[in-house]
Amino acid sequence: MTNIIDTIISVWITHQITLRTIQHLYMFSIALIISILIGVTLAILVYSNPKLANVWFNVLNVIETIPELALFIFLLPILGLGEKPTIAACVLYSILPIMRNSYTGLAYVSNEYVEIAKAIGLTKNEILLKIRLPMALPLISSGIRVAVVYIMGIVTLGGLIAAGGLGVPLQAGIYRYDIPAIIIGALWVGTLGVIFDFIAWIIENRLARRFNPW
Amino acid sequence: MGSSGSGKTTTLRLINRLIDPDEGTVYLNGNDTKTMDPVKLRRKIGYVIQQIGLFPHMTVKENIGLIPNLEKWKEEDISNRIDELLTLVALPPDLFRSRYPNQLSGGQQQRIGLARALVMDPPLLLMDEPFGALDPLLRMQLQNEFLSIKRKLDKTIVFVTHDIEESFILADRIGVMHGGKMLQIGTPSELLFEPANDIVSKIIGAENKFKAIKFLLAKDVMIPLKNCVIESDISCKEAISKMISDKIESYIIKKSNSDISQISLIDLLNEKDQEKSILGLGTRVNVVAPSDTLSSIISLLKLSNDSMAVVIDHGKVLGVVRINSVLMNLV
Repeated sequence: MTNIIDTIISVWITHQITLRTIQHLYMFSIALIISILIGVTLAILVYSNPKLANVWFNVLNVIETIPELALFIFLLPILGLGEKPTIAACVLYSILPIMRNSYTGLAYVSNEYVEIAKAIGLTKNEILLKIRLPMALPLISSGIRVAVVYIMGIVTLGGLIAAGGLGVPLQAGIYRYDIPAIIIGALWVGTLGVIFDFIAWIIENRLARRFNPW
Repeated sequence: MGSSGSGKTTTLRLINRLIDPDEGTVYLNGNDTKTMDPVKLRRKIGYVIQQIGLFPHMTVKENIGLIPNLEKWKEEDISNRIDELLTLVALPPDLFRSRYPNQLSGGQQQRIGLARALVMDPPLLLMDEPFGALDPLLRMQLQNEFLSIKRKLDKTIVFVTHDIEESFILADRIGVMHGGKMLQIGTPSELLFEPANDIVSKIIGAENKFKAIKFLLAKDVMIPLKNCVIESDISCKEAISKMISDKIESYIIKKSNSDISQISLIDLLNEKDQEKSILGLGTRVNVVAPSDTLSSIISLLKLSNDSMAVVIDHGKVLGVVRINSVLMNLV
């Protein structure tokens, strides 16, 4: 038992896992915030111009099918190596789930509520802001939850292109066949993923109860 | 009033421009609604629907205050207005202000719906079967509350229902719709006793008119009196000559607001002392208010073994209810 704890501590120190975790979460948060902003904004734009909906979703679907590594390579000439292309890749992947869910949430608010909102004198924009957007929050947040898992994975992969983060100890472990580093790194990334997914789940649940209680 | 598919809801939606008419014009206080901004128009028209209609993500306060907020009212004015309205619909503001719609019963939700419709103090209120989804007991209670609110508010209300009883209880005038056409507009008794055609009489259930004794009011069935009331202190002789010149056989004598007597020409002629004031003569008759129902009048007359009651409103004699002629009309 003391052996295991000793190993964990030594791996933690040699691979600077505290620092790597901070880098990891830094990229994670930036990518998540940008994805939410872009995803929700696009959803609102597409909702207001439904003719564009198909175009947008097709473009994003195509991006979604590109393997992460290939995407890194596409981004290399534009953004180089490191944090920037990693964050960009995270954002490109996460826009689709967030946008798709937000769009569905906005477009499929029960007609009854839209009708009564119109009948008591709300304009189209007021209906969007005061009725559709809040009532879509549970769906938007479940889209964000999907994005959380995506981003966790892609940030880890960013270790490959010198972005830092928890991908680095994993990579190092693989090259040196350092099994404790691989196991501890993987478990730690997995735990973080589970924790964030859990937090997102709690938020999603709360929103669902608050904004869509029927 | 009309069966489903008769165009009731469509009519409401035409009024607040949720639908624009293919032809014809909707006038509101003499103005063509087509010339008004639909959003501004709708904010001046209260709207209550059968389904819940409250926004589930907003508290009672936010639901009622939605339009005042958009209209940039002061926060304090909004709060005051909300408390005032909650009190009007019999919900204590402190208990209900911050609840969500799913924490309210069906009846409470419907009251909040009414409060929201009234928040801008609109001159016109549209109500689309607001009590349709409630159980019969609650429905009756809300109908009664609505009646008293209606009296307090003094607004024009267009109320849609498919329930004849409801329309008889709540309405001053009822428009009967069928197949997209307005067949007749009239008071409950006009519709019962003079239906425009067979369809109206079928919808109203005119062959079962006696059921209407619960809804018909004294003012609907009374025979109006114009010059048959004597309030002043005149002698028998004068009264007789007045009766003969007015060609009437009987006088209602009003001694005080509640002390009403009747005297006939024969009684007056039989009176020995012709100089005597008529205020001391006559037989006392039953007095009812214009809003008393026919059934309560019938019970009263049965108790006093009489056949006639005088309808009095704030001390003014309006007319008489002769039970025989009323019953003849009902069958």
